[in-house]
Amino acid sequence: MNQRYRNRIELLQGTLDLLILQTLLWGAQHGYGVSQAIRANSGDLLQVDAGSLYPALHRLEKQKWICADWKISENKQEVKVYRLTAAGRKQLMRERSRWEQISDAIGGVLNPGKKESAS
Amino acid sequence: MKLWWLWRKREKELEKEIQHHLQMAASERKERGASFGEAQAEARREFGNVGLVKAVTRDTWGWRWLADLCDDARFGARMLLKNPGFTIVAILSLALGIGATTAVFSVIYGVLVNPYPYANSDRMVHLTGRDAHGNRRFPNLTAPQFEQLRQASCVESSAAMTSWQLTTTEGDLPENVQAVYLTSNSFVHFGVPTLLGRGLLPSDAPEGQDPENVAVLGYQFWQRHYGGDPDIVGKKIQLVHESYEIVGVVRPRFTWGDGEVYLPLKLSADPARTYFPMIRLKPGITRAAANAEFQSLVEQFASETPTHFPEHFRVSIEGLNDHFVADIGGTLYLLLAAVALLLLIGCGNVSILLLARGTARQHELAVRSAIGAESSRILRQLLTEALMLSFTGAVVGVALANSLVKLIVNWLPQFSFPHEAAIDINLPVLLFSVGLALLTGIVFGISPALQSARPDLAQVMQANTRKTTTGVHGRRTHSVLIAGQIALTLLLLAAAGVAMRAFVRMMRVNLGYDPHNTMAVGIPVHDNSYTTWEARRVYFHQLREKAGEMPDVVSAGISTNATPPNNGWEQRFEISGKPMAEQQLARINLISPEYFTVLRIPLLQGRIWDENEMMHGAKLVLINQTMAHQYFPNGEALGSQMRVPELKDEPPFQLAVAGSDSWFEVIGIVADALDDGLQDHIKPALYMPYTISMPQYTQILVRTRVPPLTILRAVREQIHSVDPDQQAARNVRDLDAWITTQPEWEQGHLVASLFAGFAILALALAATGLYSVISYAVGQRTGEFGIRMALGASPKHVLLIVFRSAVVSVTGGVLAGVFLTVALDRVLARWIQGSSLDALILAGVILLLVATSGLSCFIPARRASSVDPTVALRYG
Repeated sequence: MNQRYRNRIELLQGTLDLLILQTLLWGAQHGYGVSQAIRANSGDLLQVDAGSLYPALHRLEKQKWICADWKISENKQEVKVYRLTAAGRKQLMRERSRWEQISDAIGGVLNPGKKESAS
Repeated sequence: MKLWWLWRKREKELEKEIQHHLQMAASERKERGASFGEAQAEARREFGNVGLVKAVTRDTWGWRWLADLCDDARFGARMLLKNPGFTIVAILSLALGIGATTAVFSVIYGVLVNPYPYANSDRMVHLTGRDAHGNRRFPNLTAPQFEQLRQASCVESSAAMTSWQLTTTEGDLPENVQAVYLTSNSFVHFGVPTLLGRGLLPSDAPEGQDPENVAVLGYQFWQRHYGGDPDIVGKKIQLVHESYEIVGVVRPRFTWGDGEVYLPLKLSADPARTYFPMIRLKPGITRAAANAEFQSLVEQFASETPTHFPEHFRVSIEGLNDHFVADIGGTLYLLLAAVALLLLIGCGNVSILLLARGTARQHELAVRSAIGAESSRILRQLLTEALMLSFTGAVVGVALANSLVKLIVNWLPQFSFPHEAAIDINLPVLLFSVGLALLTGIVFGISPALQSARPDLAQVMQANTRKTTTGVHGRRTHSVLIAGQIALTLLLLAAAGVAMRAFVRMMRVNLGYDPHNTMAVGIPVHDNSYTTWEARRVYFHQLREKAGEMPDVVSAGISTNATPPNNGWEQRFEISGKPMAEQQLARINLISPEYFTVLRIPLLQGRIWDENEMMHGAKLVLINQTMAHQYFPNGEALGSQMRVPELKDEPPFQLAVAGSDSWFEVIGIVADALDDGLQDHIKPALYMPYTISMPQYTQILVRTRVPPLTILRAVREQIHSVDPDQQAARNVRDLDAWITTQPEWEQGHLVASLFAGFAILALALAATGLYSVISYAVGQRTGEFGIRMALGASPKHVLLIVFRSAVVSVTGGVLAGVFLTVALDRVLARWIQGSSLDALILAGVILLLVATSGLSCFIPARRASSVDPTVALRYG
């Protein structure tokens, strides 16, 4: 029944976690805010759908990389706000360097000539 | 509960978070100029399926199994309620098995696992051993000997006791009270706190003085005599005209010596006074090491007081429960095996029902599987349903067990289990039944679940939605289950048959005496009264005469130790002029001549001593037929001389006539009467005048015109008129009822009744199982029968088809059962007394099973053969 969603989460998992952690580096944010920031910073290219975002947020919270507080918004509403923990910061660094390795590696595969000339 | 609350909280928070998301998305769109409705709709569209987002988010919480379990349980409950017939039969099948098993287990737990409340009771032992003839003996010790034993290096703690029957002297008639005298360290030794007040203290028996008049009451006595008065401590009780202050009440499980009052004991240096030692060994001491140390001590003691110890006495100490384990352990485990069989049969039944229903549910399961349920998920769902059944069964079962336990405790042989045992449904027993429920749920649930969890999608979906054909595999599982049930039922029925036959034979045994309208009233003689041979002889004679005067009494006699069917003291005897055989033992009975009239035991040869001879303690003896045949095969018994060397004078306890261990002349032979229990064998017996040796106890034996117990009070009044302090022993029964207190009778009764009950239940369960399978199969094949009948098959033909389908499994079951029964015959014969399988029982059992099976098949078969072909074809 939810097989379709689950596949997509798995596909995006590593990257989505990275994007969320990076977004929270700039400051605490609620779920909608995270999705809007990712969209804006990617020039509207990356749209995170709610079915991936919320499971990811809850999973990261369970892993203690982010934690959540309830705050009162301007229009007097309770809002769940996520922020990065110290462990999350470390995880972000690890994920970034891993992403850079992958990105370099894929870049190398796609442009073999460039890599040779560079070395 | 807390978990549920936490779950609700997170559920609410998620809802708020999502609502906030939607709101923000909508308000942003409104700012960009969309209308309210458009903005809302757009936000929702972008968000997607709210329920689904919630579901996948919840998955990350890691509690999904719990939510699934709740769903499964809810669904399972609906399914079970929808099929009440199925549910009731399944739950009853399980409840009977679980209830019976729980009940028997609680008896085993109470009697064999945790029988004693005393501290470190596993290290408490009795000083016992065997005499030269292998008889179990409990030697008592004098005070100095006890002190020496206490210092032994293997002994951690030791206390001494003695017991006697006292009377209350407050009411109109004296009432018998079992008094246990304990040394003042005893309550520390036992390590059980009292219920009210205090136990006995060292200050109750100060050095060099007589003990204080204080008493600790037994729980039962406190309940019976004082109605459980909570303010009893500080009140007085009169025992044989002495006033005792009640200082405490023991707990219900403290029943050492079956005491009704516990009084302080002061050890006396008099070598004629002996005491029973209670011993706790140090940790880590082996029985062998303790035996060795005690053996050397006992050998030394025996050289000091040779009469207190049997010759060639070998010490072999026993734990408190050893004797009971030997007595009843096997019987209890046999019963456990029986109820385990019943439980297995019940499980088989539920398996069959579940399989049949699983086939009917194949369509539902196929749909589930088609829309994405994994087979492990379906398996879990089906197992949840099975466990719901088994746990409901366990709840009903435990309720049933409660009454069954009471029944078994009532039927347990009175002196074959420790009276300290608390036999009820307690925590360990409940844990056991929970475990049992879990186990049975898995046992009966797993195979149907495995079969149903992997439906063959294409086949099921294409087939008719209402009826699907059972695969050969399913039918084979059914046959095996039915055959198994029948085999186990046959085993139980055969065991029940054997046990019942043994019991019936015991009830029909030729007693050799007439127990109707007779009773024996026990007379415990008080300490320091009638202390000479002369006085005691006259006293017993007066008691007998007073009882004999009563209008409702036909005849009255004295029988010190001769209440049949298990009577007399077993002693070595000698025959003048004949060499003594290795095991030359006889039952010595001390009686007055009326004994034979009261019990209607005929005199075969010679004569009985007369009253004058008896009052003078004439050395004349009668023998029974067995003795005559065994030792005087040529008929030379009359006139020969016999002696019993152990028959000695031991004042103040045993008052014997001068020369009691010298030669007696045999003057008559009486017919055999049972003297060694209800099994057929009779031991050689000697009957002597009671005046030869008089202990501090005798019995008045009366034959009455009316039911004996109705004149018991009148007899007690007659006794009272001779000696106002003289009580009668409690629990007087007539001799008919006395037979039913014999351990072999009680054991036979217990085993035969319970086995018969369990076997009938097993038969009912097996019949239900067979009936369900056949009805189910008939239901599945209605269409086929319709076609057959439309093509000209007669109803009789259809009937035969149905029967044939059952014949294989029933025959297989019967054969397997016969095999099992014959194989286990030896085990059975060991634990059910005097039993062995015979062809008659086996044939009867097979007949009963086949008839019951036939009946269970006949009802559904009739239904199949009476089906209207047109109806069957249209709706089948």
